Amino acid sequence: MKNKRTLKSYLGTIVINLIPALYAVTCIFPVVWLFYTTFKTQPEFSIDVMALPKSFTNFTNYSYVLTQMPVVKAMFNTLRVTVIVLFCVVLFSFINGYFLARFKFRGSRVLSVLYMSNLLVPIHAILVPVYIIFVKIGLSNHWYSTILPCICMELTTSIFLVRSYMDTIPKELEEAASIDGSSFTRTLITIVLPLVKPVLVTCGIISFFHVWNEFPFSLILFSNEKDYTLPLMLMRFKGEYFTDYPRVMTSLFVSIVPALVIYSLFSKQIIKGMLAGAVKG
Amino acid sequence: MYRQKRNRLQPGKFMTAAYLLPSLLVYLLVFILPVVLVIVMSFFKFSSIKSFAFVGSANYRTLLADKNVMLALRNNIFLVLVCLVGQLGIAFVLACLLNAKRMKAGGICRTVIYFPVTLSAVVIGYVWQFIYDYNYGLITYFMNATGHGDAVTPLLAQVDRIMFYVCIPMIWQYVGFHLVIMMSAMTAIDKEVLEVAEIDGCNGIQKARYIIMPLIKPTLIVCVFLCISANMKAFDHIMTLTNGGPGYSSNVLALYAYNISFQQFNMGYGSAVSVFILVVTAILFVISRLPEMISQRRERKGEK
Repeated sequence: MKNKRTLKSYLGTIVINLIPALYAVTCIFPVVWLFYTTFKTQPEFSIDVMALPKSFTNFTNYSYVLTQMPVVKAMFNTLRVTVIVLFCVVLFSFINGYFLARFKFRGSRVLSVLYMSNLLVPIHAILVPVYIIFVKIGLSNHWYSTILPCICMELTTSIFLVRSYMDTIPKELEEAASIDGSSFTRTLITIVLPLVKPVLVTCGIISFFHVWNEFPFSLILFSNEKDYTLPLMLMRFKGEYFTDYPRVMTSLFVSIVPALVIYSLFSKQIIKGMLAGAVKG
Repeated sequence: MYRQKRNRLQPGKFMTAAYLLPSLLVYLLVFILPVVLVIVMSFFKFSSIKSFAFVGSANYRTLLADKNVMLALRNNIFLVLVCLVGQLGIAFVLACLLNAKRMKAGGICRTVIYFPVTLSAVVIGYVWQFIYDYNYGLITYFMNATGHGDAVTPLLAQVDRIMFYVCIPMIWQYVGFHLVIMMSAMTAIDKEVLEVAEIDGCNGIQKARYIIMPLIKPTLIVCVFLCISANMKAFDHIMTLTNGGPGYSSNVLALYAYNISFQQFNMGYGSAVSVFILVVTAILFVISRLPEMISQRRERKGEK
């Protein structure tokens, strides 16, 4: 009887561990498949799609993708937009979050409602007017075109996070500083900024992945190849190369390498940050 | 005393404005103005920024008679429902398993399952296109390997099942997202409650259904909310996977609005479809809040 019981619980443990593990394999397998297919040639691929490549040093796909397709340029464009957006989002959400949490001024309620209204509007519904406005004021088709829309999309969650974080910090420190004669701006930078640094990092993490993967605004605002961001470049160039599968897969793989590296280095912080953004935002 | 304190900390009007105006101006220009404009523009007919013609409610009349809009709406609702069941269901089961005491590799599983969330939807769309591919796809490969080679069909060309195939990548990508949210809610549950249940002879499934589920209900509601809004925004996945095809069979509202505005350059009508998206999203949010609101009202009545 006792033996049977332990056998049963043993089996239970295996099943409990196996189901999530199997699911995890399905999550990572496509990426692994993508990775080793990048070393194959098209004939090799068409004979057996699953087989490992003959050699892992066949870099012809990589050299083709890196020289013939604007992958590097697109990666640089994406990085440039992302860095600027992240800086602005962190700065704006810090200031707005601080003011909304600490002070009551004329229009403070209207302001917070305005920023929150973003949550109810899917961005795809405002693509046409954004396009019209940007064409009218000459902001479309420059490398910086998508910066402003991206900032707006990321601002709401970040402001909310900073604001609720500020609520948990007592204001005695700021008061002491101002009694000692520190100006408002100085207090803000030297006292408050270090205090909210953790939540600003969270904001940066959340925004990074959103902006790095941003697609709809790039689609309508960029029409010159030299401005393309990564997702748009993949979209535009796929059709041309779709006969050579390993080549397309190489371009896909190259485009996910930065996200892959960053995720594997900081996965704990990223999950924690995204969680904070999802639950509170 | 209190007044004085507040005055000392609070900057003057000018200072406040100087700090807050830059971000507010950006926000007004790129978000609030477009929301107002899209409603205004839906009453016009125009294909470029030069010639606008007021057409009254003609766009809306076209919209209500447009079969494609209704099909796209049906697809959107189908997508939301399937993803609600798929994403939240799978995530809940996995979260329960990963939080179980006998789980050995919970951390690494969570990290790996979350990974697809960080990928671009365009990449996900293409990867799944490779998986579904008729000649070289993984599914074809496995069908051949298991001896069902004669049952291989071009999956993305099946009009009546296309929405299912479109849903799978979206479910696959976001399970990790909901999983992480649910797991963090579950770790907050008092361990003693679960132990008592075990002593009382609760098995795993009963524990999940009658103890964990009610205890993390607020989190589940958040997940439902997030799931609805994410799937109403479905656009990139479908654009890269099928581009709404074959025909219009896997079209969704956002993609339809884009195609009308930027492929057919009928921007007035595209705006009308966009307004329609706004309305549908608002209605869905209200519906998803209804059970909560009703129970709150009942509680209030009970108090009286």
